[in-house]
Amino acid sequence: MEQFIYYLKVSLKGIKRAPLPYALTIFILSVGLGVFFANATFYYQLNSDPLPDKSDKLFFPMINLVPYQCTTDCRTPRVLSYSNVQKLSQSDIPSQAAAMYSADGYLRVNAGQPPLPVSIRITQRDFFTMFEVPLLHGSIWPDNSARHEVILTRASAEKLFGRTDVVGETLLLDDRNVTVSAVLDSWQMLPRLYDANNRNHLTDADDIYLPLETGYDMNYLSNSQSSTFDDTDYRQLSTQGRTGALHQLQYWVQLDTPAQQQAYRQFMHNLVMDEKAAGRHPSEPNNQLVAMQDIVSYFGGDSSDIKAFALVTLLFLLVCLFNASHLSLNRYLSNQYEFSLRRALGASRSQLQLQMLADVLLMAGFTIAGALLTGYAGIKLMNQLLPANRLFSDWDLPLLLGLLAIAVVCSYLVTLYPSLRASFGTLNQQLKE
Amino acid sequence: MIRLSNLSKIFRTELIETHALREVNLQVNEGEFAALTGPSGSGKSTLLNILGTLESFDSGDYQLDGQSVTGLSDAALSKLRNEKIGFIFQSFNLIKDFSIYDNIELPLRYRGFNASARKQRIEQALELVGLHARRDYLPGQLSGGQQQRVAIARAIAGQPRILLADEPTGNLDSLMARQVMELLEKINQQGCTILMVTHDPDQARRAGRHIQIIDGQLHDSTLYEPLAAHSA
Amino acid sequence: MSFYLLIKGLLNRKVVTALLLLQLAMTLALLLNSILLAQQTHQQLNQPTGLDLDNIVLVQLKPTTASLRVYPALEELLNRQLAAVSALPDVVAAAYSNQSAILQGGNNGNVYLDGEEGRSNQPSVPMYFVSKDFFRVLDSKLLQGELPQQSVSLDNPVPPDVVITQSLARQLFADKPAIGQQLNRGRLAAVISDFYGQRSGTNVMFNSIQVAPPFGVDWGYSILLRTTPGRADVVRQRLDQTLRAVEPNIEIFHIRSLAEQHQRLYRNEYGLAMLLAILSALMLLVTMVSSYSSTYFHALKRQQEIGIKRALGASKNTIFIELLSENWLCTAVGALLGVMLALLLNQALAQVISIPALSGYLPLITIAVLLLCVTVATWYPAAIATRVSPATATKAL
Ligand SMILES: Nc1ncnc2c1ncn2[C@@H]1O[C@H](COP(=O)(O)OP(=O)(O)OP(=O)(O)O)[C@@H](O)[C@H]1O
Ligand SMILES: [Mg+2]
Repeated sequence: MEQFIYYLKVSLKGIKRAPLPYALTIFILSVGLGVFFANATFYYQLNSDPLPDKSDKLFFPMINLVPYQCTTDCRTPRVLSYSNVQKLSQSDIPSQAAAMYSADGYLRVNAGQPPLPVSIRITQRDFFTMFEVPLLHGSIWPDNSARHEVILTRASAEKLFGRTDVVGETLLLDDRNVTVSAVLDSWQMLPRLYDANNRNHLTDADDIYLPLETGYDMNYLSNSQSSTFDDTDYRQLSTQGRTGALHQLQYWVQLDTPAQQQAYRQFMHNLVMDEKAAGRHPSEPNNQLVAMQDIVSYFGGDSSDIKAFALVTLLFLLVCLFNASHLSLNRYLSNQYEFSLRRALGASRSQLQLQMLADVLLMAGFTIAGALLTGYAGIKLMNQLLPANRLFSDWDLPLLLGLLAIAVVCSYLVTLYPSLRASFGTLNQQLKE
Repeated sequence: MIRLSNLSKIFRTELIETHALREVNLQVNEGEFAALTGPSGSGKSTLLNILGTLESFDSGDYQLDGQSVTGLSDAALSKLRNEKIGFIFQSFNLIKDFSIYDNIELPLRYRGFNASARKQRIEQALELVGLHARRDYLPGQLSGGQQQRVAIARAIAGQPRILLADEPTGNLDSLMARQVMELLEKINQQGCTILMVTHDPDQARRAGRHIQIIDGQLHDSTLYEPLAAHSA
Repeated sequence: MSFYLLIKGLLNRKVVTALLLLQLAMTLALLLNSILLAQQTHQQLNQPTGLDLDNIVLVQLKPTTASLRVYPALEELLNRQLAAVSALPDVVAAAYSNQSAILQGGNNGNVYLDGEEGRSNQPSVPMYFVSKDFFRVLDSKLLQGELPQQSVSLDNPVPPDVVITQSLARQLFADKPAIGQQLNRGRLAAVISDFYGQRSGTNVMFNSIQVAPPFGVDWGYSILLRTTPGRADVVRQRLDQTLRAVEPNIEIFHIRSLAEQHQRLYRNEYGLAMLLAILSALMLLVTMVSSYSSTYFHALKRQQEIGIKRALGASKNTIFIELLSENWLCTAVGALLGVMLALLLNQALAQVISIPALSGYLPLITIAVLLLCVTVATWYPAAIATRVSPATATKAL
């Protein structure tokens, strides 16, 4: 240990002898790594799996069951109609299933209060178990039937009442009475893959939850996408909306085994064939069963800017690495005489390598500090310039450890080649020079 | 062709002033072979450097071919050095990663000769120093004496009128030293003026003229008449 | 100064030179593509919108009580709000609309000639349901027909007349007479000049407008105002208060000029171009550091060599130019590699974002910028290097 401290001291002396090149090396490495860190953070968070043990079991079934024959655009609609979902839910193959959409509404405790604008997720019972939503108070609706009961998030409960245990309280949701049946614990699913249409997966979770049937009864239209493919009146959601081709629903099913998945595919196929036979499916069948992991790219919602930037920052990191190794090579070459002298005085290669290790550690220390600083600034800047990805800018432990490892490896690479050159060059020749 | 009048050189550092040359008067004629001797630190190298315009001086005048060098621009001085003066150093001062050929070629390039003129002169110079076969070697691959001969070839390739040699044999054994001396004599016979710093009394005797410097002052073995009376 | 010796010098330092070249090439490639992207964004932001962006103010709002969102209360609210904002000083015209212009997407649908759906259908054409001064607010030019003067309910047996923009008219009718033709949404009454509708549509200039109260305002609605030139900011400040005075039970999502709305629409592109620009600046900085340090170290290591060259007749200028040329040569070779790399990067980027192809004079300009930066960075250490005293440098150790 004491020996190692000696090596560290020697390293520091080397730095003091030529501080500018060393500072420049650190600067360049820090900038390169910092920029890389900032982008890697977004890339990592955006591509992270919010439900690692489940995401390959959750599927979004889509069928082209619409009352027109497609001519040009034969893609299956991204949202389903109420009757589509009813037909798809006839199967008991999925262990869980929930249809859903989101709408905007105003919530208040009583008519005298100013309204609180809320985003409402209008969904079914299984939503909460399927996406592992933690419950704080109360209980989830026992079935999928209509009921004037809402489930609040912890944050909206606190905002409305100043406390969380508010089960049984009544509220006015767009001037209609509803009861609180449960309060959720703090929960964030990022990216919010169940709502990937229109890149909504990048946004925050909704504020309150309402049963699907009640949402239709209350005539809530989707705030993300509602399309009609016939002359259904948007204003008659509770009646025409349930029968006509008004598409606004997402539908997720949990299929635990490949056999179940296959069976469900077959079920979809049979369903579509029956509909076709009945003359209700004029277009060619185009069934899709998209796994949750693939839903973002299926909807074309990949964050291409981050991808493009990832490519570019990687290049930049390479450039910085080249540059830094160039600089430190120069630094070592100007110290080479001393290095050779040391070897002439009897330092073994392994001792010199220990010296190198000290150099690497010292450089890694400085570089990590610089890179974290630059990375942090870079993230702030990217949040300013690309606010859509704002929620994906946090550092967590595995990410941080990965980044640190990369920084150490880079410092090692930058120190390795030059010091190898300095220590393995022919001793004789260097002393002669 | 060289005329120094009352030339002084003072080195100033933070701590001390060194009077390297004091009021030096010197005249060297075309075709002379002069040896400069003197104790270490007496100012021999300084004098040679000033003659070669590598160093400036503080007072007095230096005329080369009747023209004063004072006030000439860096470019003019460089041209003068390139065309009229050849240098030979104690430590050879060949460029390490240039081949023998490239080393000799360098001043000719600065002079703006075309490729064939350069080639002809280099061949001639290599012939003279007897290293024709080694033209593609790197300096590190040659012995000291050979390196010094390359340096001589480089110095004379441009056919300078003056050759300034600072202890050219200082790093060589006696056999090598004799070879180099013979070479210099040969060059002198071809009409080139040579000024050589040496510590070897034999060499000094072989030269046609012997100039001694002690503590920055000249003690010339040959006496000349006052400057105005003599013209080269 | 000789090219041959320069190259030879560079070849003698293979590793260092290769690193420098690679780095220069990458810098150039990145620089080029950033400029391309920045150019594209600039063009997008400057493409014509057909609108006087600075003098039109947009308010996006929604009633917070359900009773105000149904007719006839809603229509009454809309008219009261219009009357109030119209009365504001500096307001030239005001109109409500179910949605604003210059959006990413919104309320849109198919438009086709009655009975010719298969042939003439245009998908995702924005549908505006507006009050009659909408055209005055946008300052639309009437090109054919007559603008509707009466608001007609969408539930009317005869649906309200339709006004479409010029591009859509050309697409639907080519040069045939258009006025009076029956569209799926109603009879065509007028064709007006183009304006920017929705970015996600097939053509941003396709729009169809009907003078009618909106179906509903579940997604909120817009009040659009034209102000006297230069007074938009003044008007904006009074809008919130004025609208709340008319009816307190509303949520105002935002009040913006259309110029601002336009900028927001391209915010992502702008952000990416900006980030790349910053990155390019950093890259240039890194290149400058590397040019600086390579010259600095080169000069340091070659003091003796420079001294010898000086003794052999190289003037200070010669040495200076030699050092600069070395970097110039490097930059030029690196730049050539860089242009090739830029093409590759361009193709790679085109896979993930829309970026124009590389062309023409741009590489030349970029190379010039790179050369300039390299020159600036090399200048100081090269100038220092020429100050080497030949007498000292050639002295025996
Ligand atoms: N660059 C310099 N700065 C300061 N003093 C110098 C410098 N060069 C030479 N001197 C001093 O000038 C004096 C003359 O030096 P010079 O090199 O001419 O001696 P020399 O006669 O060549 O000695 P030697 O025989 O050892 O080579 C010495 O005292 C030396 O210390
Ligand atoms: Mg000397």
